[in-house]
Amino acid sequence: MTRTLLVTGAGGVGKTTVAAAIAVRAARAGLRTLVVTVDPAKRLATALGVEELGNEPQPHSDEPNLWAAMLDASASWRAVAVRHAEPEVATRLADNEFFQAASEHFPASQSYAAADQAATFVQAKAWDLVVVDTPPSGGGIDFFTAPAQMADLVGGRLLRWITGGPLPGRRVFFNVAARPVLRIADSILGSDLLERVAEFLLDLRTTYDGVARRGREIEGVLRSSAIFVVTTSDPAPVREAIRFYRELPGLATSPAAVVFNRILPDSWAGAVAPEGTSAALEQNLARWSAETTRQRDTREEFSSRYGAHIATIPWSSVAPTDLDSLAGLLDEADELPWSAIGIS
Amino acid sequence: MLDKRLVLVSGKGGVGKSAVAAGLSLLAQRRGLRVLAMEMDSPGGLSAHFGTGPLEFEPREIRPGLHAMQMVRSDALLEYLALQLNVKGMTRFGALARAFDALATTAPGIREIITIGKAVWEVREDRWDVVIADAPPTGQIGSFLRAPVTIAELVPTGRVRIQADFMSETLKNPEITELILVSLPEELPVTETEETLSWLAKEEVVSKPRVVANRVLDELTDPGTPPGPVGEAADLHRSLWREQQNWLERLPPDVSLPYLHGLFTPGEVAAHIADELEAHT
Repeated sequence: MTRTLLVTGAGGVGKTTVAAAIAVRAARAGLRTLVVTVDPAKRLATALGVEELGNEPQPHSDEPNLWAAMLDASASWRAVAVRHAEPEVATRLADNEFFQAASEHFPASQSYAAADQAATFVQAKAWDLVVVDTPPSGGGIDFFTAPAQMADLVGGRLLRWITGGPLPGRRVFFNVAARPVLRIADSILGSDLLERVAEFLLDLRTTYDGVARRGREIEGVLRSSAIFVVTTSDPAPVREAIRFYRELPGLATSPAAVVFNRILPDSWAGAVAPEGTSAALEQNLARWSAETTRQRDTREEFSSRYGAHIATIPWSSVAPTDLDSLAGLLDEADELPWSAIGIS
Repeated sequence: MLDKRLVLVSGKGGVGKSAVAAGLSLLAQRRGLRVLAMEMDSPGGLSAHFGTGPLEFEPREIRPGLHAMQMVRSDALLEYLALQLNVKGMTRFGALARAFDALATTAPGIREIITIGKAVWEVREDRWDVVIADAPPTGQIGSFLRAPVTIAELVPTGRVRIQADFMSETLKNPEITELILVSLPEELPVTETEETLSWLAKEEVVSKPRVVANRVLDELTDPGTPPGPVGEAADLHRSLWREQQNWLERLPPDVSLPYLHGLFTPGEVAAHIADELEAHT
């Protein structure tokens, strides 16, 4: 059985690093582990042995149970066309200016690509554990709603809005100019832009059955995945983490843990400098002590209000450069629910 | 920083760009300017710092002289059609509005020009001395700033095109528009800011941005490490400070904002940032 761990949360909280560290630990515990990352820092990518974009998992040269893949969102979009459209339509789609734009602009674009790719790896049954570092879009929530949003995009709603009526069949001559509303639109735009978009959407709609079916498969994989929400103690990422308790029911299991990253030692809270400490050191302690208290209050409030399982990872000033330092980040981690990913 | 008419605040997610936009708005208000603060990115990002609850498309005066609004694309689209393109009699769910909404989802530049167009429109109005936007993050800011050019490539003639040219001029004009890139002295934010700077230098869609480094630690002058929390905190501070120095050297900021220890609410953070910026401007 392949277990899946989705490591999610807002941008800038160290999510990618945490996902990688967990994957190294899992590999060293004997699980064949694949880590799928989105946009790692260069040092981290180097440590994982993935230097280039590509959806192909790379086995790590120094760690027999570890594979890593770096997501290529635009390649995943091309794959959607290839997989779900007739060959002739697929070629037309891949070259289409709007298809390119949609793959970059559609809000859930990267999230859909990541979810699709992650599900593919899980279904391959080649690993015991697939750890997915989800794109930060929507604080991580987009990853779960992306399959439905994608089906909605190709499903014809937009097309109906453009045609202003029932959808024409694929082979029916599509006369945009016959619709007054579109004549106005095109006179404003000064071109046949809407007609070009409508032609594109007609092509895209032929992929609907495939995309909808695939979406249900992806949602199935997501629903059976364990979720770790990573956050720092700052208000903005915490606000994003809370969304996992308010907006996700039905799309996923409740998070196995909210992982607070960059945590200061509890012993600093309220600590007082002994007699004879210099003013500079005393002031420094007072600042970090206040920060420690704020962190602790934030965690306590989160736990009591949402009933979340809280885990912590200490603040490390050193960015990991190899697998050992990566795994070492979790040496002092507290309350990480390893059993959720099959590690005792 | 407040001598321009339009200030766009961008940055990688998680660096505190909303806090800086809020702090700048508060500072402008303190100085007696008529300010419009615009929540262009994710809803709630800016309003959390004002403590006002959700904002609407219609600007609301949240403090004397400071109005705040949230970008709502469907409302902005209607306004764009009515005021800028002179298309009257539209309703939110009218056929033409929906056709344009479909267009905004698929065609490059349309969604962006509606958003950035709203900001430019407000600048042209004489209601405000300064419009301060919590703009889209650095990953997307390029496509917003370039939207007028993208549109010009997409539609060769017509009213949209004429508006696009006007927007382009406004955004490019260093007397009117300023872009602020908020960064942190850490690897990913610095790398992303550098990439944005070099892209902007190549595309010339806006004048050279100002870089603000957020959460910068000051140097701890005492080298001592006594036992217990005093020494532990000193050790952590010094090693974080050294790491930050590397990134500050690589991307020297125009303005540094300090790390704010122990602050709880977004409102406190914004007020402190306003104080700090006051010393810089």
